[in-house]
Amino acid sequence: MPPIVLLWRNLWRRPLRSILTVMSLAVAVFLICGLRSIITTIRAAADNCDPRRLAVMSASGLFVELPLHYQARIDKVPGVEITTKFQWFGGYYRSQKNFFAQFAIDPETMFAMYPECKVEPDAIQRMATDRTACIIGSSLAREFGWKVGDTIPLVGALHPHPEDKAWEFKVAGLYHSDRPNFDNRTLFFRWDYFEETLKQGGVPPAVGVYSIRVAPGADVAQVIADVEDVFKDSEQRIDCTTEAEFQRQFQSMFGNMPLFLTWIGAGVLIAILVASVNTMLMAMREQTPDIGILKALGFTDGSMFVLFLLQSTFLALLGGGLGVFGALATAPFISAGLEMFAPGYAVQPGTVVLGAVVALAIGPIAGILPAMRARSLTCIAAFRGE
Amino acid sequence: MAQPLIRLKDVTKTYTRGGETLTVLNRLALDMEEGGYFALMGPSGSGKTTLLNLIGGLDRADHGLVAVAGEDLTVLEGAALSAWRARTVGFVFQGFNLIPVLTALENVELPLKLTGLSGKARREHALHALELVGLSDRAKHRPGQLSGGQEQRVAIARAVVSDPKLILADEPTGDLDRASAEQVLTLLDKLNTQMKKTILMVTHDPHAAQHARTIVHLDKGQLGRIEHNQPAAARA
Repeated sequence: MPPIVLLWRNLWRRPLRSILTVMSLAVAVFLICGLRSIITTIRAAADNCDPRRLAVMSASGLFVELPLHYQARIDKVPGVEITTKFQWFGGYYRSQKNFFAQFAIDPETMFAMYPECKVEPDAIQRMATDRTACIIGSSLAREFGWKVGDTIPLVGALHPHPEDKAWEFKVAGLYHSDRPNFDNRTLFFRWDYFEETLKQGGVPPAVGVYSIRVAPGADVAQVIADVEDVFKDSEQRIDCTTEAEFQRQFQSMFGNMPLFLTWIGAGVLIAILVASVNTMLMAMREQTPDIGILKALGFTDGSMFVLFLLQSTFLALLGGGLGVFGALATAPFISAGLEMFAPGYAVQPGTVVLGAVVALAIGPIAGILPAMRARSLTCIAAFRGE
Repeated sequence: MAQPLIRLKDVTKTYTRGGETLTVLNRLALDMEEGGYFALMGPSGSGKTTLLNLIGGLDRADHGLVAVAGEDLTVLEGAALSAWRARTVGFVFQGFNLIPVLTALENVELPLKLTGLSGKARREHALHALELVGLSDRAKHRPGQLSGGQEQRVAIARAVVSDPKLILADEPTGDLDRASAEQVLTLLDKLNTQMKKTILMVTHDPHAAQHARTIVHLDKGQLGRIEHNQPAAARA
């Protein structure tokens, strides 16, 4: 074994270099953990969907609307327990920078279908009595400082108000979901307000997506087939999928995000590996005379190999540990920032293990080349600084 | 005549540089008895340091026998050679060769890490060695905080701390002023006369060589004259 005191002192021989190396390793592991967490969160959104819930959208794509009368026909399909509808409002608050999702919904069926979306009973009651009422997510309320009773003016970019003014929504209550498939940054408002207002301007309302809950005991695949069969000869053909599949299709609209993020992570890993090898080679060059001294004193070639491998591993573990800690410590802030894109962002235990494995692997890999050189160097060559 | 500690027979060492083969030691034969004090002298390139490296097991002869303390170094290799070096030889180099990030005490303690001694025992031995060279008050200082003479004395403490039979000193006074050089030479005298260490010192300095009992001259890789000398310590 090499002298541990020497191992420790060598690490701090060039404190700035060691600190910069540790910091760059920490940033790399932090990024790898962060990117991995986004991937697992995105996947969790689909994995957490209720397998009895289905989504119905136009076969032409998500941006093509479906007729309003489809709901009644869906309701008649055997095995359908509840149907509800969503329409993307696409408005903005004061500036287009203040973007968040808004949907026109039927509160009664929607909240019944999504029990993970927890709303105070008083809020649902207030929503029932006020046509302009809305329910907003807890994160959205926190972000804009909105509270019950506030009026939120939204410019209807997709659905302009017929009187050429902002739509106004009164906050009836807040909802909160702990599940990653349901974000807390959305505004839901009443369908009837939406429909009647549009009709004033002579615009017939349409539906973006229908959501179905399959009755207990019913065959989900059969219900999907039956729903699609109902509309196979209609003016607008539909695509009926499980909610999980719908989530995946929605995510794939942004491209293959998991693959993209994985490639970024791999790039970060390679960059830090190259930087770490360079650092360890510099350290080895600097410590070359010491290798000669130690070997002359009787330390073996193997102990020199271990000395450099341990130096590298220690730096990597320190940096990796900081990176993992950083990923865990910043998770609540990142979660708030990614509320809409990746609701429920969290660093999973598997990601912590991944970070630790990356750190554990970088150390020996970065140290192997200088360690091999240190092992093969003769005393004479070391004294000459070769 | 005591048993030779070092036996060299027909030793040849060549180096190849830029396609040219250079014979540094040419069929050298020499015996050095245990407890002796030898100075190796000769012009630059005569093979002094190469011979010292062969005897210390830092380099390997191309041909011939290099036997030190009963071991044939031409066949010893790897961990066995390292272990032999650790228990048999103490090195003192011209450039001191202390590890800059360690204190004087830690530098002296290094060879003892290869023994089975406890941490406490190692520190006690290292402190004792520093006392021997008069530097126990500098135990916590790093090499950069010591003078050249002090650094070389720490190196001598490190060379003797594990109680080796043989001290190999390569130009130990080469980088020192006269006063410091004298202190180092006095210490080497003490190691030889009081602690019975066999000393082989490479030097250019005739004054330093006068401290040895035997002065061996090398020239162009071959043995020159051998002088037997009344050492300075004995004269004093």
